[in-house]
Amino acid sequence: MKKRYLLMFITFLFMVALVLSGCTDDAGSGSDGASDDANAEDQGQADEDEQADEGSDDGNTLIFGRGNDSLQLDPAAVTDGESIYVTNQIYDTLVQYEEEGTNVKPSLATDWEVSDNKLTWTFQLRDDVKFHDGTDFNAEAVVYNFERWTTSAEFTYYGAMFRATDDNPKGIIENVEATDEYEVQFTLSEPNAPFLNTLAMAAFGIASPESIEKHGEDFFKNPVGTGPFIFEEWVPDDSITLTKNEDYFGEAAKVDEVIFRTIPDNGARFMELQAGSIDIMNGLNPQDIQNVESDENLQAIYRPSMNVGYMAFNTDKEGPMSEKLVRQAINLAIDKDELLKLYEGIGKPATNPIPPSMWGHNDDIEDYGYDPEEAKSLLSQAGYGDGMDLVLHTFSNPRDYMPQPKVTAQAIQEMLKDVNINVEIIENDWDTHTSGEDMSYDMKFLGWIGDNGDPDNFLYYLLDKDNATPDAGNTAMYKSNEVHDLLIEAQSEPDQDKRTELYMEAQEIIHEDAPWLPIAHTTPPLAANKNVKNYVPHPTGSEPFNLIEIEK
Amino acid sequence: MSLQPDSTPDTDTGTFNNQEHPKTNNLFKESFLRILKSKTSVIGLCIIIILLLTALLAPLIATHSPTDQSIVNRYQPPSVDHWLGTDELGRDIFSRIVFGTRISIQIGVIAVGISMIVGVTLGSIAGYFGRWIDMIIMRVIDIMLAFPSVLLAIALVTILGPSLRNAMIAVGIVGVPQFARLVRSSVLSVKETEYIEASKAIGARNLRTLFGHILPNCLAPIIVQMTLGIGTAILDAAGLSFLGLGAQPPTPEWGAMLSDGRAALQNAPWVVAFPGVAIFLFVLGFNLFGDGLRDALDPKLKD
Repeated sequence: MKKRYLLMFITFLFMVALVLSGCTDDAGSGSDGASDDANAEDQGQADEDEQADEGSDDGNTLIFGRGNDSLQLDPAAVTDGESIYVTNQIYDTLVQYEEEGTNVKPSLATDWEVSDNKLTWTFQLRDDVKFHDGTDFNAEAVVYNFERWTTSAEFTYYGAMFRATDDNPKGIIENVEATDEYEVQFTLSEPNAPFLNTLAMAAFGIASPESIEKHGEDFFKNPVGTGPFIFEEWVPDDSITLTKNEDYFGEAAKVDEVIFRTIPDNGARFMELQAGSIDIMNGLNPQDIQNVESDENLQAIYRPSMNVGYMAFNTDKEGPMSEKLVRQAINLAIDKDELLKLYEGIGKPATNPIPPSMWGHNDDIEDYGYDPEEAKSLLSQAGYGDGMDLVLHTFSNPRDYMPQPKVTAQAIQEMLKDVNINVEIIENDWDTHTSGEDMSYDMKFLGWIGDNGDPDNFLYYLLDKDNATPDAGNTAMYKSNEVHDLLIEAQSEPDQDKRTELYMEAQEIIHEDAPWLPIAHTTPPLAANKNVKNYVPHPTGSEPFNLIEIEK
Repeated sequence: MSLQPDSTPDTDTGTFNNQEHPKTNNLFKESFLRILKSKTSVIGLCIIIILLLTALLAPLIATHSPTDQSIVNRYQPPSVDHWLGTDELGRDIFSRIVFGTRISIQIGVIAVGISMIVGVTLGSIAGYFGRWIDMIIMRVIDIMLAFPSVLLAIALVTILGPSLRNAMIAVGIVGVPQFARLVRSSVLSVKETEYIEASKAIGARNLRTLFGHILPNCLAPIIVQMTLGIGTAILDAAGLSFLGLGAQPPTPEWGAMLSDGRAALQNAPWVVAFPGVAIFLFVLGFNLFGDGLRDALDPKLKD
């Protein structure tokens, strides 16, 4: 017996040792990416974290709960909203969007002019800005960043927005030159109407050249910009901590610290908000809106709508999906009003890829409507009257434009059963779903949140043949030369009325070819504690937090 | 009595086994009577019988089709028309649970069947032949045991691809080590008995000795493990389905129902509560009965 107690005691010691080593491991991996001096402060940070965890009472820490961790904190290398949420706080762009809407206003650049032929853009820069690492922001830094984005295809947005390819890595930006200490000049190879708006996209945040050189491959873990918050710590899949930048050139932050916490489940995140351990959450389940509104400590905040949720048909896949009639038939077989009930009031049925709130939306296009009989006759015309089996890929975590992906998939499965189409639903996590590795789908759920308020950002990125590759935006692999010509013409056309006409025409062709089942445009709900003030969600999906206040 | 045919070969070997107890001539009859004496195992047995009947008569019991949707009627609380309310697509939860019983029993039986066949074969070979064969098999089993069972099942399904069939295979494979270890230790002890020596002396070959004489005497622990294993298997499979790795929609699998109803947990708790209760009852039934069975079949507790 004595022996047994001894054994138990030793086992107990081992367990304690294990638990303790587990703790230190965590702290270690957290500061993994941080620079050396950050390591020295490790102890201090841990203490601060504990305080923050005790609740948001301490007024100066803003805790933002969200569903996924950031992929990389290098905005040019990512397209996911969760990364952009954070980089928006750390970086500034040359110009920025107004607080509401997508008109641009000065940021790092104070003034700009464009030549008559619309090919040369000259920006005057601020002369009082320093990066978080203490180095000066100047025209050379801007040039350095733009040149960096042409060096690799990993900088997805540069390629997508400026048409850069392997053969032409610079795309339409022929040259970027520092014409003075604080003056930078862009020379384009052809006019580009959305150019100024595009520069305001979070993806083109200016980073410190010295820190990029210093950290190399690991820069995405050690972001250094000029923004209202300074990167402090990143504990993967748990939290990202930022502290206030006292020397911010714009309006300095009202809170001392921002913590982004990853809480994957929408319901669990909402419970944390109710318990007061987070201040703001995104991805509120629409079913929970009524609970927020009946809770006197909480407020519901709505992000202005600039998105689309859709089901793309794999037009490239041999078989039924390559037939226009089949795609139209599926559009006819879906009762969209019924489907939209699953959005619990936050969605409007979609007819076109671009949202109705955006200029260029073609209001004249009538939706296919719900007509299963017509759908059946189209299917037999196409030779699929006896039915067929299709695979629908969906994703597990709700997104702003599709709050219930799995349930929506089941509703569509049931509706298509009525026209003899047998749907197999395959659910994947978000990373797998968007990786583009598995191209075996017939239909695939996806959505898009506009980046710069320009129709080009929807139509060109999502439906142009240039982007019909597995890892780009055209999930339908839709390749229409007609649409391509219209979209390219619209890009270089400076006159907005003429551009509108071109986009109207493109939408008609897209409607006829039916590469998608457009589902909904949503007004995504967020929830926050009542004491959070001045939080104005931006239609592009995220915004700097420097104006947010927490009332005590 | 489904136990009847099984008991025939056993009485043969039982003549060696039960010589000290001439008053009993049937191990299973005696065990069964002993189970009836324990209240908890009777409760377990009743739950199992009810579940089996539900599965068998599902179309008669269910009040609605388990897959018919009516989006307008989503999240209805329990009522006369929908006894347990409706889910996120307006489907009748009661009918889905009733049809889900079939799937759960199917998962339990098939997964445990896989575990048993593979586990018993490996375990008896390891125990009987010993030496390097034992060494190799048991080290592989040890490696499998080193993984938490659900984690191993998730990894297997990820490799095989998410579907109900693959979930059953994965849960089955995860259950193999229990059977292998159990059977190996039983074989090791039975192997040393005199009647095995006797059969070898007559000239019985390895296969005949192993499957004809040793295994029938290891049946009791195997049956107990199977009963308990069904509970664990259904729990693991529900976990996989909850993660979207098991049953695919619109299959009314309980774990998947739990997962789908999560979004409305605060407003429509019945959507997750009832499938949860169903899983609970199922596992409870098999565990209670399994425990009772183990006590009843344990030779140390005789008399």
